[in-house]
Amino acid sequence: MIATRERGRSRLRQELPREAEPPRLLGSLARWLWLGVGVLALLLFFSLAGDDWFTIINYCLIAAIATLALNLLSGYTGQISLGLAFFMGLGGYTAAFLGGNPPQGALDPWGLGLPVFIWLPAAGLVAALVGALIGPSALRLRGFYLGIVTLALVFIGNYLFRNLSFITGGPQGRNFPVPAFGGFSLDQQNSILGIALTSGQQYFLLILVILLLSALFVYNLSRSRVGRAMRAVRDHEVGAAIMGVNLFEVKMGAFVLSSFLAGVAGALYVSYARYVIPDYWSLSLSIQFVAAIIIGGIADVWGSILGAAFVFALPQVIDYFSLLPPSTGGGGLSSGDLNALLYGLLIIVFLLFEPGGVIGLVRRLRPGRPRLQAAGASAAGAGADAATLKEGGESIEVVDLQQRASGPDEEQGRRRTGAS
Amino acid sequence: MSERPNYSTLPGHNHQLKANEPLLRVEQLSVRFAGVRALSEVSFTVWPGELFAVIGPNGAGKTSLFNVLSRVYQPEAGRVTFAGQELLRLKPHQVARAGIARTFQNMGQFPTMTVLDYLLLGRHTRMHSGILRAGLFIGPTRREEWENRTYCLHILDLLNMKEVRDRPLGSLPYGLQKRADLARALAMEPRLLLLDEPVAGMSLEETEEIAAIILEIKEQLGITQILVEHDMALVMGLADRVLVLDFGRVIAEGRPAEVQANPAVIKAYLGEESEQLPAPADDLPAVSEN
Repeated sequence: MIATRERGRSRLRQELPREAEPPRLLGSLARWLWLGVGVLALLLFFSLAGDDWFTIINYCLIAAIATLALNLLSGYTGQISLGLAFFMGLGGYTAAFLGGNPPQGALDPWGLGLPVFIWLPAAGLVAALVGALIGPSALRLRGFYLGIVTLALVFIGNYLFRNLSFITGGPQGRNFPVPAFGGFSLDQQNSILGIALTSGQQYFLLILVILLLSALFVYNLSRSRVGRAMRAVRDHEVGAAIMGVNLFEVKMGAFVLSSFLAGVAGALYVSYARYVIPDYWSLSLSIQFVAAIIIGGIADVWGSILGAAFVFALPQVIDYFSLLPPSTGGGGLSSGDLNALLYGLLIIVFLLFEPGGVIGLVRRLRPGRPRLQAAGASAAGAGADAATLKEGGESIEVVDLQQRASGPDEEQGRRRTGAS
Repeated sequence: MSERPNYSTLPGHNHQLKANEPLLRVEQLSVRFAGVRALSEVSFTVWPGELFAVIGPNGAGKTSLFNVLSRVYQPEAGRVTFAGQELLRLKPHQVARAGIARTFQNMGQFPTMTVLDYLLLGRHTRMHSGILRAGLFIGPTRREEWENRTYCLHILDLLNMKEVRDRPLGSLPYGLQKRADLARALAMEPRLLLLDEPVAGMSLEETEEIAAIILEIKEQLGITQILVEHDMALVMGLADRVLVLDFGRVIAEGRPAEVQANPAVIKAYLGEESEQLPAPADDLPAVSEN
């Protein structure tokens, strides 16, 4: 496979100019070095870390898949969604229904006992299908309105998950399937190639592979025609349509793919947590992912992973190392309080000082990179204002075009200009 | 530009046009917003290969006209035929595929996009990778990306912009942003190019460069162009024919010299008493209230 790709690339290299070569994943020595560092770090972690650490990191990697899903929809395509928890829940319960154990008693929730290579993809596909059904009506809305509709999904989902107890187990929750490959099941210690692996280590490998595949897919999208169209839709819908971008198609693609990834993440989560109540798929879960893309970095694969680490792993790490008690029952600082404080502070700091998130900070500190100057952006803004003024006679049209085109705050700014 | 770039090396821009068939025919077009008539029964025809200019005072309806042609506005009445096709039946994104490209009057829509990515975005309808193929980035997608990047770099080379290929649009000076926009429109391989004030806010030098490019596009690529512009010197120097709008109505149409001498045009621009056309670019910031 890799050999044929290399051949394909070298043939293209003979036919087409080198300067036009698309950006490559491992296109520079530095990237190979980073890959080496990454692999080394993973190996060290894998061989040295204890069970507690695997628990923290595994949840974090699952969250990274879901963060990637949200970043695809909100970060790359600009469609605000608070419905991620709903799609994760769908994935989780699809996995439970297809992969869970057949009921023993009359009150037990249903389960078909199918193998992992069916229930895991199916979890994504069912979430994607529901996304495809909801998308056409939801995506007619924009900005905050889309946010509210997807918020409603979370509440509808919560109601369904509580009441469809033959699948979800109702408020008491239910057990979930464990991935099993051939003879060995991931909840037990198994030895692969003579190496004894704990349950946490096995889950780590499975989740890591799925995360890497998802990340690669999103990265590939972002450097291709579809990714450019997504960013264009995010930045300026009318402009994108003028370039020939089918807005509906692009938004639907992002929505469905995002739902798929969220479904897979949900299935992995339930499978790893083993016990989940319907209330878990709540608004606050969705909002944590929104925080993750803001802290990590909008429209960035690494940003998604870092964001998930900050929001889903850092609090656990602080709990783990903190000398503070987990809860004080009023009075004094607990590690939970400390986490809540840090979390809020991080969001505020990043929104105010580094809208590019952690990854924006990293990329900004890296020398020799072209970056967007604030001066350039304001020059463009001034140009837009001048145009509004100049076209004063046609201000109705201008406002109309920009209402269709821009976000609420920008719109407000232009209205102000138009009114002056 | 010192040496004349050879635009005819751009593949895809070889339009075999029947000169006796209009490329664009606009008939009795009317647009109205909340009681304001932006366009009233506007009719005109643009022939293949022509450089057709639309001028008029502020609020005359020039931008409205472009917004109808790119299907941003739905007209109240009228008919638009483009290359034998009913334009008003198309959805906005289908207009580009049909062969109409438009430049933006003001930039700033895509500030974080690099120049090269912006041109590639312009080639959206000329590329085919869907979400699955792009996500896997298998052979055909890599080839498609590579070929289209080659094409876009060629355009950037012709427009003397290759050094800024990886710069975000928002970081470029305004004139360069507008030139990148023109390059993007060219990358779309249009049959009809709508230029919405291509030199607005540009220095004299930049204006001359853009004028040269517009002429090369006409002469070497044979792309039909409609130019909306305030810079009267540019319009009169470049256009084959000029359409003058005032308060949404056609008040004159003809060769630049004819239009310039037309009393109705002079009146529209300067009111009753004056007898001269305004100096170029003087009317740019004039009107700010309606």
